[in-house]
Amino acid sequence: MTTATNTEKTEKKAGPWLVLLLAGVFEVGYALSVGGSEGFTVLGWSVSAFVFFLLTLFCLSVALKAIDVGIGYAVWAGIGAVGAALLGPVFFDEVLTPVRAFWLAVIIGGVVWIKLADSPRIERARAEPTP
Amino acid sequence: MSWLYLGIAVIFEIAVGIFASKAQGFTKLGWTLGTLASGAVGTLFLGLALLTFDVGVGYAIWTSVSGVGIVLVGALFLNQRLTWKKTVGIAVVIGGVVGLQLSGAA
Repeated sequence: MTTATNTEKTEKKAGPWLVLLLAGVFEVGYALSVGGSEGFTVLGWSVSAFVFFLLTLFCLSVALKAIDVGIGYAVWAGIGAVGAALLGPVFFDEVLTPVRAFWLAVIIGGVVWIKLADSPRIERARAEPTP
Repeated sequence: MSWLYLGIAVIFEIAVGIFASKAQGFTKLGWTLGTLASGAVGTLFLGLALLTFDVGVGYAIWTSVSGVGIVLVGALFLNQRLTWKKTVGIAVVIGGVVGLQLSGAA
């Protein structure tokens, strides 16, 4: 009971959520860098892929100390995938056609759903409904 | 070939997901090193896959199918419950990947 209350208090603080959003942004940077590296033959993009890889893992692990794992992963994966889909066409020779956008939305929605279904916090809330 | 690269990248990303959960906030050295190593190899193959796939498409498939794989490995080998909710999510992701490919938008 004490633990649950503590967790709730921590989750209401903005800090961990900002770090989680940052992790999402770094994940977008990672995806774009890996794409731009052309199989790691372009040095600049390859270095930035490596840096973003470490940054996203670090921020995610820090954020998940305070935020529920399922919810945290869902937000992080969602930002990463939506960001890569939207910004791919900005940085590279890509197009986001309506058909493509639709199917990407289905796929990303599916993985966000899976991550949320893995949330111990939501399961707990369901098991012990708050009055 | 690009699908093969993406598949290999998925396998390593599944390992990342499982190792990271064992690393307990990266306080356990062995699991932390395993996470980083798997992530590096997975990234390499993702890079090869993205030579063909557009970033937005390849990345979305990679991260989502990995999410499916993490749930399936957890259910098959780690004694985690495969709830109906997770099963629905798995079906949606697979349906989405198949739809993306069949519609020619991949």
